[in-house]
Amino acid sequence: MAYSNKVIDHYEHPRNVGSLDKGDASVGTGIVGAPACGDVMKLQIKVENGVITDAKFKTYGCGSAIASSSLVTEWVKGMSVDQAMQIKNSQIAEELSLPPVKIHCSVLAEDAIKAAIRDFQQKQGAPGSEGESKH
Amino acid sequence: MSVDTDPFALFDLPRRHAASRDAIEQRYLELSRAAHPDNVVGEGTAARRAAVERASAVNAAYRVLRDPVLRAEALVKLGGIDLDSTDPERGAPHPTQAFLLEMIDLRERLDDGGPDGVAALRDDVEARCDAALDAAVDALDAGEFRRAAEHLVARRYFQRFLDETDSSAP
Repeated sequence: MAYSNKVIDHYEHPRNVGSLDKGDASVGTGIVGAPACGDVMKLQIKVENGVITDAKFKTYGCGSAIASSSLVTEWVKGMSVDQAMQIKNSQIAEELSLPPVKIHCSVLAEDAIKAAIRDFQQKQGAPGSEGESKH
Repeated sequence: MSVDTDPFALFDLPRRHAASRDAIEQRYLELSRAAHPDNVVGEGTAARRAAVERASAVNAAYRVLRDPVLRAEALVKLGGIDLDSTDPERGAPHPTQAFLLEMIDLRERLDDGGPDGVAALRDDVEARCDAALDAAVDALDAGEFRRAAEHLVARRYFQRFLDETDSSAP
């Protein structure tokens, strides 16, 4: 199976690999796994005034899983939390031209960003998504 | 393994994990001989195709039955849980956050472990990988498919770690 050029590019030059301080109240951490293949993905966002200012990931999995999480960290920087919550796996799959057998990698990345946002929101003590941007 | 195949039924073996290697080998020889495409050389296309499909099913079942991990996964599947599916009801059970964190932590320790550290980590994970299969087999013997599936999923994560560290070895 051939990987698309974009997958290869993200795989060979992954963006935003690393970690943010999990204990920081402005950092949300999402950790998800794909039981079928054993892939694990950690995706973290830093949120300031409702806007995602930084994003990091560590993914241990196939090229498509690495590329999907790398792409998402690029996308979400500068987005509001609400915008990032709208990211769909189909957009990731389309951007990377993922074949059907690799769609679950884009699902994993969508799950990871949503988990990170939920973690951030829980830290803010607000069940809704606008807890901290209200004035 | 196609959806409706039961490798145990195809080989006339009881649906349990303990299996006699000799019995599997012997049945494989018998079935392969019976299903050999040479038997239908002079016959029509349909009969030849059926023979090829039958031989292929025998080979697929044999591959599953002779491998302790695939055998356990097949039994879980016959029990209603497909580890290759992401379906929330019938698919692979999700591991806990704590377990996933630990899997990431293992990789991070790998990065700053040095060669001795890597070998020690691998030994440790190998032991846990084997223990997970043993635990899954115990659960299968007790008829607890969900518990067996959870151990087999954990085993896949351990296996993944071992595959990664193996391929990154110099």
